[in-house]
Amino acid sequence: MTTHKIALTVNGIQEQVEVPSNMTLLTMLRERLGLTGAKNGCAAGECGACTVMMNGEPVNSCLVLAVEAEGAEIVTVEGLSNENGLDGLQEAMIEVTGTQCGFCPPGGLISARALLDRNPSPSEDEIKDALRGNLCRCTGYVRILESVKQAAKGG
Amino acid sequence: MEVVSSGLPEFEYIHAESIEQASTFLLDESKDSRLFMGGTDLFVQMRAGARSPSLLVDVKHLPGMNDIQLKPDGSLHVGAAVNLNALARHEDVAEHYALLAEAAQSVGSYQLRSRATMGGNLCNASPAADTAPAALVLGARLIAQSGKDERSIPVEAFFLGPGETALQRGEILTRIEFPSPPKRSVGRYLKLGRNAAGDLAIVGVAVLGFPDDEAPSGYRFRLALSSVAPTPLLVPEVENILSGETMNDERIQAAARTAQQAAKPIDDVRATADYRSAMVEVYARRALKAVWAALRRDN
Amino acid sequence: MAEKMKSPSVPSPIGESVPRLDALQKVTGEAVFTDDLQFGADLLYGRILRSPHPHARIKRLDASKALALPGVKALVTGDDCKDRFGLYLKDRYTFCKDRVRYVGDPVAGIVATSERLAEQACRLVEVEYEVLEPVLDPVQGAQDGAPLLHPNLKEYIVAPFIFPQHGSNISNYFKLRKGDVEGAWSKCNVIVEGAYRVPHVQHVPIEPHITVAKFDHSGNVTLWASSQSPFAQRDLIAGSLGISPNRVRVISSFVGGGFGSKAGVSMEALAVMMAQKVPGHPVKVRLTREEEFYCSFVRQGLVSNIKIGADEDGTLLAMQTEFYWDAGAYTEYGVNITRAAGYSCTGPYDVPNVWSDSYCVYTNHPVGGPMRGFGMPEIHWGIEQTMDQVAQKLGMDEKEFRLKNCIREGSITPTGSKMHALDLESCILKAAEAIDWGKQEPASAPHKRRGKGIAIMWKAPAMPPNAGSSSIVRFNEDGTVSVGIGGQELGQGSHTVAAQIAAATLGVPMDSIRISYPVDTQYSPYEWQTVASRLTWSMGNAIREAALDARRQILELAAEHWDEQPDDLDLHDGQVISYKSERSEPLKNLVVYGLPKEDDSGWRGGPIIGRGMFMPNYVSALDPETGQGPRAVVHFTPGCQAVDLEVDIETGQITLLRVSSAFDVGKAINPDQVRAQMEGGVVQGASTTLLEHLRLENGVPVNPNFTDYRIASTVDMPLKTIPIIVEVPQDDGPWGARGIGEHSMVPTAPAIANALADAVGLRIHDLPLSAERVFKALRDKEAAT
Repeated sequence: MTTHKIALTVNGIQEQVEVPSNMTLLTMLRERLGLTGAKNGCAAGECGACTVMMNGEPVNSCLVLAVEAEGAEIVTVEGLSNENGLDGLQEAMIEVTGTQCGFCPPGGLISARALLDRNPSPSEDEIKDALRGNLCRCTGYVRILESVKQAAKGG
Repeated sequence: MEVVSSGLPEFEYIHAESIEQASTFLLDESKDSRLFMGGTDLFVQMRAGARSPSLLVDVKHLPGMNDIQLKPDGSLHVGAAVNLNALARHEDVAEHYALLAEAAQSVGSYQLRSRATMGGNLCNASPAADTAPAALVLGARLIAQSGKDERSIPVEAFFLGPGETALQRGEILTRIEFPSPPKRSVGRYLKLGRNAAGDLAIVGVAVLGFPDDEAPSGYRFRLALSSVAPTPLLVPEVENILSGETMNDERIQAAARTAQQAAKPIDDVRATADYRSAMVEVYARRALKAVWAALRRDN
Repeated sequence: MAEKMKSPSVPSPIGESVPRLDALQKVTGEAVFTDDLQFGADLLYGRILRSPHPHARIKRLDASKALALPGVKALVTGDDCKDRFGLYLKDRYTFCKDRVRYVGDPVAGIVATSERLAEQACRLVEVEYEVLEPVLDPVQGAQDGAPLLHPNLKEYIVAPFIFPQHGSNISNYFKLRKGDVEGAWSKCNVIVEGAYRVPHVQHVPIEPHITVAKFDHSGNVTLWASSQSPFAQRDLIAGSLGISPNRVRVISSFVGGGFGSKAGVSMEALAVMMAQKVPGHPVKVRLTREEEFYCSFVRQGLVSNIKIGADEDGTLLAMQTEFYWDAGAYTEYGVNITRAAGYSCTGPYDVPNVWSDSYCVYTNHPVGGPMRGFGMPEIHWGIEQTMDQVAQKLGMDEKEFRLKNCIREGSITPTGSKMHALDLESCILKAAEAIDWGKQEPASAPHKRRGKGIAIMWKAPAMPPNAGSSSIVRFNEDGTVSVGIGGQELGQGSHTVAAQIAAATLGVPMDSIRISYPVDTQYSPYEWQTVASRLTWSMGNAIREAALDARRQILELAAEHWDEQPDDLDLHDGQVISYKSERSEPLKNLVVYGLPKEDDSGWRGGPIIGRGMFMPNYVSALDPETGQGPRAVVHFTPGCQAVDLEVDIETGQITLLRVSSAFDVGKAINPDQVRAQMEGGVVQGASTTLLEHLRLENGVPVNPNFTDYRIASTVDMPLKTIPIIVEVPQDDGPWGARGIGEHSMVPTAPAIANALADAVGLRIHDLPLSAERVFKALRDKEAAT
């Protein structure tokens, strides 16, 4: 199988990686770049634990080929915070106990960040709609919604 | 039962330089080539072993494939690789083709729709394709290119069976063209799934209605269904029933029954044929009523 | 706020909603889960060849083609297995020896340089099967003459409180006889009978099972596993390998959801056996989501027959239940669910005459195991619907009927022991009030009907009588504290509660506490398993003991130093203080280096390490013929949920408007986290009620994926969730605490069904309450009238 040399930006850092055709963006992030924040929960685009931002839009990184990320800007959960501190969503999620086991927030936070980027003051229904692809089995979603509302208020 | 692999099988990936080149790859008999758009269905099928192409031909980036253009005559041209989010939020689509936007937004999740394309949704030819009923009632035409040749296929002739389309080997869907919608038209797509939203359709109903002075009832309605037949299904009889006499609840009920009779559902893991059939009647009635109410309000 | 007003006997931070200790790690992606660990170039991968048949004999297995594939390193089959293993009944081999008993049963394991290659090799293994007649229904499976899944059942090693019926598929029979049921029926004015079915569902942790195992060249094995049970795994796996548990080391990072599926041993043993073939190499085995649905544990199916009678005043007189558990191919863990159902068979009611038969039945279905609620959601499904009908036949309000008959302090439980202090009445009243019980409210559309329903529950930790916890509290140089525990953080918040208990007992600030993590059986103190909602109570007691032990050492040291009595001293805000002399000394000055004696004549004290353990010593055996005994369980947590819903009568779709939950948790150590458990439980409960069903057609799972096994997402949650805490302290819980983790999904299904009955006058006996099922029931009802 052919490999492809790709160049991309991940969390603001330029990366060059050589990847086989069938490697997913998720596998590349986790196994080549050591960014294990995004999780593999179903490999079918259903659970959303692998959600990352690709050129400003959330995608299921398990359904994107690494080779397709040539030239792309990727942001993972690790890239939400920076030297200036946490993203408001992360702060809100800590404050309202929006996480339990912690496996789904890496994806959910990316979806929520994308929502607030395109709609800074979403309604409850809009939040539910934007997060319906991020399954959580622990929280019942109550505090996840609460943290997005709170971050929207603060942002 | 099928054993699903942990990852994708091996294949080659080609970032095509042109549609012509892509179609050459697809025509190469020595390879099991497959056109590659968003991959949201394809990768799941590949993990399950249902498809094992040796070559994926990526055409998403090619000129025009991502364009949405409202033409001076009011028609809308949508590149086949336009993703469903881009489609739904495009100003012209939201304003003039709200039905299409509604159907696009009913698919899966936001992050799935970042990748799922309009062309892919149609070319997979799933009976459950959510944008298909909208394309049917809007009278879309599908522009397919092979080499340098282009042809236009009316959407009613596009779906041949589950997973089967009118596309010939080597033909690539490049664009979907929607004629200018009838003046003051209103559309709705209602979908029943197991979850309150985001599931595959058990039943989907698209209705487009518009005032028509030449119709005895003063209105025309078009109705199409998803998930209740081997292909997405336009039910032309509905238009006759609802244009003929004065609009009222009974006429709508009769039209909904007609839709129910047109449906040819099957049992599957999501629902029985029996339930689907009953729900076609309910959802057709609700969609027709919603559109009629909006028409009376707006006009 | 009420929770800020504490009685002086409750020290800070007990009862305070302190933030989760692990939240920052979890929102930044920093929290390490097992698949995030890096193992370097030596890492190999294992994949499993599984049975395609529900029941078959393995006639021939030829793996020569698989082994010839470059990159394939090893093969494991049943021939490599020594002994059977299991938690309560040793009934399974890691890999099948001669017979497969469910679709998914491991037949061979391949180790290779990649998952893909291991999968390719699996496809090259030739297996010839002789298909056998399967058992696909627990009631039929329990009959004489049914094909036997485990003909050698009588040889299996079994815990003393489990009763296999040799020569049958019944791997445990729990019998309960209290009072005179037969005599009581004639005194009843109202008797309601019914059969209720619960299908298989799966836990669906968002993190699928994963284990990395490595043997070193001395034969010691290390497992990195996403596990609720590092110690039980150590013990069971060592047993299956015939080696000492001391040579098995289990390290477990954060767990991405468990709900019971990662308790005991399931796929971990596969990885160990594969790693044994390639010493020096870590071998990673991770289940795909598809495998997760049918190859790890599932919740057992249940067929229950329920009969309840009451007199004209509405007092319960008699209750008879029969439970047939569709327990799957191996019941090593599931046998105890049967037992838990038996001793809890009345639900939280005071019933004088009780008869129950609970059968654990082998079927050719996926392996039933523990799932949140451990049998209680399943039995309450029928019990609580039947209770509603009894009340309705009597013309009583369903809430009043429950208030009249519910279990109280001093009531006699079905097993004949006296009920401890608890307040289920308050739970009922508060949950009902929260949804405006008794107030008829309009539906939002002409094609919708609105209804309200209520259900109550109880649940005890189901475990061996001697399930133990332990803890080690170590002081550091600066007066901070490392708290060693063996309990797992699954998301339930156990780290935070552990730190609260340690901080409160030691009189140090919360930020002085650090939980020693990850759990590593080589260093962490013993914990039976993180199951049964037992950590706050059992591990909490152990931590408190350890902290008290450390505290005693410190007080004794300071007393000697100051020439005072330890009783006059206390720990407060990181200092040891004397109430008598009003002296004080920061802990950092003495907890590691001790204190100098007078006149430089030497030192006293030294590093302070407290040890603590807790094991209940009062749980007794039950009579095998009657199920009676002095004390069956440690305690029961009771609670109530009330549901306000709408149903679309044209489609059958149910929309949950309000769901209230009130549970008597004894003492909420962290009220916010208690509420979070209630919120999560409601949605998992609602999801299993409305959407979930692992469909098995002739034993073959047909929807083992998220496309067709739907779980609740944001759009399916109740519009309003109302969690309510009731607190009547448990005598032996830390500050009175009892468990709450599992309980919040127990009454959800019957509460929804009771609300549906209120809305449309319809009883549905089978789960799930899918829109299609509700629609058809409505249509059938219409046709019948």
